[in-house]
Amino acid sequence: MPVQALVPPFGSFDYSALLPLGIVAVTPLIGLLADLIMPAGEPRRGIVIGISVAGLLGAIYVLVRQYVSHQFGPAFGYGFILGGFSIAFNLIVCAAAIFSLLMVPTQRDDDKEGPICALMMWSTLGAMLMAGAADLMMIFLGLEILSLALYCLCGMIARASDVRKREAREAALKYLILSSMATGFMLYGMALLFGATGSIDLVALQAVPLSNPLFDMGVGLFLIGVAFKIGLVPFHVWMPDVFEGAPLPATAFMSVVTKAGMLAVFARFLFGILSPSHDDALVWPIWAVAGISMIVGNLGALHQTDMKRLLAYSGIAQLGYILAALAGTSTLGMRYAIFYLGVYMFMNIGAFSVTALVARDSEEDAHMSAFSGLGTRHPVLAAAMAFFLLSLAGLPPTAGFIGKILILSSTVITGYLWLAGLLILGTAISIYVYVKIIRAMYVPVDLAHIREIRPLSHLPWIGVAVCSLATFVFEFYPVALHDVLPRIR
Amino acid sequence: MLGALVGGTLILGLLTFALPPSAERTAKWYGVAVALAGLILILFMNPWSPPPDESTRWLSYPFSSDYHLGIGGISYAIVEMLALCTTCALLATKVPRQRNFVGLMLMLEGSMLGLFLTRDLLVFALLWDAMLIPVFLLMIGWSVHPATAWRFLIYNVSGGLLLLLATAAYGVIYGTTDVIGKGILPPLSDAWAPWILAGFAVAFLVKTPVWPLHTWMPDTYAELPAPVAAVVGAVQSKAGLYGFIVIGLPLFGAQMHQFAPALLTLGYVGLLYGAFVALTEGEARKVVAYSSLSHLGLILAAIFVFNEYALRGAVVYIVAHGLFTAALFILLGFVEAREETSALSRIGGLARRNPKLAGAMAIAALATLGLPGLAGFVGELFILVGIYQAGYGWLAAVALIAIILAAAYMLRVYQGFMHGPEQADLPQRPDLRPLELLALAPLFAALVLIGVFPGIARYPDQAYAMIGTTPLVMLEKSR
Repeated sequence: MPVQALVPPFGSFDYSALLPLGIVAVTPLIGLLADLIMPAGEPRRGIVIGISVAGLLGAIYVLVRQYVSHQFGPAFGYGFILGGFSIAFNLIVCAAAIFSLLMVPTQRDDDKEGPICALMMWSTLGAMLMAGAADLMMIFLGLEILSLALYCLCGMIARASDVRKREAREAALKYLILSSMATGFMLYGMALLFGATGSIDLVALQAVPLSNPLFDMGVGLFLIGVAFKIGLVPFHVWMPDVFEGAPLPATAFMSVVTKAGMLAVFARFLFGILSPSHDDALVWPIWAVAGISMIVGNLGALHQTDMKRLLAYSGIAQLGYILAALAGTSTLGMRYAIFYLGVYMFMNIGAFSVTALVARDSEEDAHMSAFSGLGTRHPVLAAAMAFFLLSLAGLPPTAGFIGKILILSSTVITGYLWLAGLLILGTAISIYVYVKIIRAMYVPVDLAHIREIRPLSHLPWIGVAVCSLATFVFEFYPVALHDVLPRIR
Repeated sequence: MLGALVGGTLILGLLTFALPPSAERTAKWYGVAVALAGLILILFMNPWSPPPDESTRWLSYPFSSDYHLGIGGISYAIVEMLALCTTCALLATKVPRQRNFVGLMLMLEGSMLGLFLTRDLLVFALLWDAMLIPVFLLMIGWSVHPATAWRFLIYNVSGGLLLLLATAAYGVIYGTTDVIGKGILPPLSDAWAPWILAGFAVAFLVKTPVWPLHTWMPDTYAELPAPVAAVVGAVQSKAGLYGFIVIGLPLFGAQMHQFAPALLTLGYVGLLYGAFVALTEGEARKVVAYSSLSHLGLILAAIFVFNEYALRGAVVYIVAHGLFTAALFILLGFVEAREETSALSRIGGLARRNPKLAGAMAIAALATLGLPGLAGFVGELFILVGIYQAGYGWLAAVALIAIILAAAYMLRVYQGFMHGPEQADLPQRPDLRPLELLALAPLFAALVLIGVFPGIARYPDQAYAMIGTTPLVMLEKSR
């Protein structure tokens, strides 16, 4: 790759393309400043979270403007590519971050909201960078920004029992070690890819012939890193433990944002770099593990009683569904993968928001028993939860249903029918997983034995309302963005 | 008007939850009023000049799909029966937490109305799954054993998922799923069509149910609260048969012929197996459940002999079976409310103190066993004539065995409950109240009406042309 392309000065387009990322990067500083100046307490908490949410809303506004004005193109010498693809992923990531931020006040850590909000936003920044990254360095940079903030977030539990604290630290450490190892795989893969081409630019990889062993090994190691971060089956074991140990807002955040960021990298790699012949030879293991993930994820969820663990396993399977849409690299498949990712964000974050309202404090966070009798105690919340769970299970009348239909259609178009079959099988298993919670909510119980729900904050209600509305509306107007094919040039 | 019927029932059903939980009687009468309004609306639609179709675009990619509602002759028959059964079931409802119960029943009715009225495969698949949810919630909320509820849900959703996959495949290949009621359509390629039809068929067979996919059914029917059992047993079980008629016949004519031997066999195994088990079953609800298996097997066979008479008979029998099954479940609900059991060994000699109950039971039992003058007979006669005419004389003869057995098991239930020695330890309870009689009267009236004037169950010939009987008969001859 000619070095000249990377030489400054950069034009105004370069900076305007990165404007949303800039907003997300700078807002936490303001939030931290406010956190520093104001005395601890309810007003400070509100203001810090308000600043963060406002920053993300601003980023979303700019992203929508960028999509509408359609001035797409590469920025910073092809380091970052602004396009429908990166905007779609960035929108999903920002929305997930907002809803996760709204869950923060339900936790007992009243004096930690400044750092938590800042870390969460910087982590978001990493995912946003990954969605637009078009060279290996940028991908790695985004990944590290995303992960480093998350390691801290996982361990941030201050006011909790010792057991709970130990769990959280265990989660953080486990995440740090395992994730670093995956990063190592990925980095080694990148090094080999660099060796094969002499360039960190993704475009250079397109020209490499299939028989180049360096290239093949590089792609293999790279994909192992991807599979680990997305949580596909042989590399998924860290996920339930980390999700269970981490504080609820961090879990909700991770369940969408890390996966979305990595999925974006994988999709760009798949659509931009690998030619169809590469596809079959190099990527079929990913389709295979996606298929296995649908089954194993749902089987693993069968016996979980902790909501966070359950949703971790369910997330493994859900990502398998999304990858099924990507199989065969069709344009429609890409659109439906992004559509389903958006739907997954809404239904999953919705379920987490309800859990945040139901779990009284971080002591016994999210055990399923908290849901028993919810149907009589709090019919609206129970109905919303049932709705999200039906959507996760792919039952009507929810967006999850139409999302599955679209994925199935795309597998029929591309001919990956065996993935469709596994999807059906996995979904059939998952019915029990999700409906079991619905059952717990609606089976008549003696109300005397059930504790009231008194959430520390009512902010997650916003998440519940928006997510249920979105889950309902997308069923009837499945708007999948056009122009979402990732470009590298 | 159709959109208002389906959407109105669903929304009014949802609105039931706005009533205070203590308003149990209000909720019941609200439910009856909504269901009755729907019934009246349907009765005023003339099948010979049906109201216009209503259609709104849903999906454009990867295939086009519309919220398309339309009422053809066959939909008309089933929807009428559905509204009637729901009204009667709600009239007979007396359960704890009645508000929630009524709300769920109305949503069940709304989703099934949509299922039988939609002209789009994808909407059909959507409602196919959607109608399971109210039933499942009714099961877990009103003390059905969890294992039964799970078996019901998992069996049916698995079928529904195959239906979904088949629908997606059909849509992608054919370009649109707005295909129901469009007459005979150009067939799909041979590579795909059998598999797609197989996906549909499994869903239909589970839902009906047909032997050997019936194992969820007896417990479900035995444990559901009586009004729900009436609606599910009478109407939801017809969704699969309806699917074979309006989706299988016109869209997959050749493959239906290909599948016919297997499905005829399954239908006949169910016909005989159901009849024999019903003969030995000790619980009245399960007798009705297995008799359903038997009768529905006969209807399935009637569809798969590809004969116009058999098909007309199947439609009449679908309605008749719905009416008498609903009546039987409602009646058994009354018996259980009085005696707290429906085991044959525990009950006896009710007729002496409860003559009205005995009389009602007699009518329902006689309708089930196909007494001339009641609706069941008309359907059975047409089906048997059709099967004979299609060249399966010996199959018609075998079906007769099951019809004779029907007399045996239904009379066994009637005799066991109503006659014989009175059980000494059985509580003495009053006879049917006027309101309870009112819940049964419309069903009996419809049974007699169709039995005496079978003409009113005749639907416009164009309805049969729509599902392609005539060309199918030609296909049959050319084969």
